[in-house]
Amino acid sequence: MKAHRVKGLEPLAALGDNAERIVLVRLDELCAFMPRANDPEEIVALHDMRIAAKRLRYILEVTAPCFGPYAHTAVEMVKDLQDLLGEIHDCDEQTPAVMAFLADVLLQDAQALTKAAGDASDLSAKALRSAPGRETYAGLAGLGVHLQARRDLLFRRFQELWLEYERKGFRARLEFAVAERPGAITRDPGCPG
Amino acid sequence: MAKARDVPLDPFEPYAAAAARVVRVRAQELFDHAEGVLDTEDIERVHAMRVASRRLRAVLEIFAPCFPARPFRSALKDVKALADALGERRDPDVHIDAMERHAAGAPDEHGAGIALLIADQRSRQATGNEVLAAELARAQETDLDGRLQWLADHAETQIPAPAEDDPEAFEAADGELDPGFAAPADEDPETP
Repeated sequence: MKAHRVKGLEPLAALGDNAERIVLVRLDELCAFMPRANDPEEIVALHDMRIAAKRLRYILEVTAPCFGPYAHTAVEMVKDLQDLLGEIHDCDEQTPAVMAFLADVLLQDAQALTKAAGDASDLSAKALRSAPGRETYAGLAGLGVHLQARRDLLFRRFQELWLEYERKGFRARLEFAVAERPGAITRDPGCPG
Repeated sequence: MAKARDVPLDPFEPYAAAAARVVRVRAQELFDHAEGVLDTEDIERVHAMRVASRRLRAVLEIFAPCFPARPFRSALKDVKALADALGERRDPDVHIDAMERHAAGAPDEHGAGIALLIADQRSRQATGNEVLAAELARAQETDLDGRLQWLADHAETQIPAPAEDDPEAFEAADGELDPGFAAPADEDPETP
């Protein structure tokens, strides 16, 4: 997912003002994935949402001291979200990989049994006792089952977490925090540095 | 894993001044972790360097408009390539660890299947180490560290010294710098 261009960044302008612009764009990118990513079938949207969360987290981690106190809270919230989306992404990547691995083992075993049968007119189920990979089937299938079930559970947690963030006013509070500047009240307006 | 060094920031300082300071520190951290990173017995080293590469890449993207476009793009591309290579090595480490934990909780008869997957990941780990070794050598040959330091120095030289009677000095624009940026597409090879 390509990040949106942030307009109006000025190298010689204040760090806080530039960082504010970046955070607002990255925050908008993250929030734009909902409600689409709320569908468990939308694997790509969920993956892109994780990337958006990562981008927001990084800019906040670097520049949170430039903003109001909620920015620090938001760093932890975005990190929790990114971690959870990362766990789901791992399941989404590993499940087909493990299933493909199992399919390959099954294919190789089938070919081995066919070869061992030679000119036989049929194949007895007993032949399975000599299949080279027979002891690995259960472990591979079991891992696939576990990954899929874990994915479903983690996705439910993601839905709950996002709902909680909405209830807590995550977006509005972060938007407010990035407009704040610590020390702004006590700073001498005649001193730019 | 080493914690990132704290880089104090002032919201009112010029964006480019912060860029120079942060990039210097994060680049230094990356190369500090290079020693022993190819040792497959110590998986924490590659993890620490990978995290450092992610932090560096992130700050480069955050401060992109403060650097001259062409050398910046070249350095960012190389940091990304190094981060990807670190991921090639790190991903099997993570998978092996996860599978070993899975095997510990799964029924005994599942052990053989998991062991087969772990053996497959070990072979990927070895391949990943070769990829990483090549990328580390390339970073050294192309003086990636030096180029990053040059970018930081260049960002700093853009900042005019504030005159005592000119509080607006920081508002001068520099035509050489890109006024906006978009972070590049992220294939995101890593797992958090």
